[in-house]
Amino acid sequence: MSETAHQDHTEKKAFLVNSSSLKDVRIFCREVFEKIHIQEDLKDELVLAIAEAAQNIVKHAFKNAASPNELMVVQISCENNKLQIAFYDRGTPVDPKKVKHREIDNVKPGGLGTFFIQEIMDAVEFKDGNKPWINHLVLTKQL
Amino acid sequence: MKFKTIEQENISTVFLNGEIDMDIADSVREVVFPLIDAGKEVHLNLKDVQYMDSSGISVIVESNQRAKEKNTKVELKEVSAPVEKVLAMARKFL
Repeated sequence: MSETAHQDHTEKKAFLVNSSSLKDVRIFCREVFEKIHIQEDLKDELVLAIAEAAQNIVKHAFKNAASPNELMVVQISCENNKLQIAFYDRGTPVDPKKVKHREIDNVKPGGLGTFFIQEIMDAVEFKDGNKPWINHLVLTKQL
Repeated sequence: MKFKTIEQENISTVFLNGEIDMDIADSVREVVFPLIDAGKEVHLNLKDVQYMDSSGISVIVESNQRAKEKNTKVELKEVSAPVEKVLAMARKFL
């Protein structure tokens, strides 16, 4: 936790579900974190966590399939130095029990993104997606 | 996406740049894997990489594994600060 006062702020944006959108997700995050006054080092980590979560939506909830009209929404909120990042999508329902990084002695690259998210954030929670959404992921971190 | 590659004896140095994410990772594989398959020692120069996520790390891990199978090696050169930070996090895991 830092001593810095962060600006309360909420902003959300919709992105097409495809790998080309991941750069736009990162740009959006960086812009919002500027407004919240998050320090540079932490900003890089948070951008990575958010990008990994967005990547998981493209890769797993939509199985890398071309989904020209499908959207995912990223909402970033900061209130009283608590950062909350919400993701909404209409992909395959996620079973939270199956979302885990692999065992440490299994040297394969897969699962690293989930590991990054868990390392960087304080909490990772799947909530029921209210219509029209199916998946609703919430990442939180005390700043 | 194209990456500059310099050949020197049996070493191929690939200069990656920009942001290496899921969208770019396959382009890196397309450049690096044929070099490894040809038995070259591959140096990945990362000085101009501003961002790398798990997809980029996956390419490095896969390249390393592929190189071992081909009795050659992959080395990382001039690793930029942002990439070093992600690698440090990944080392806890890999």
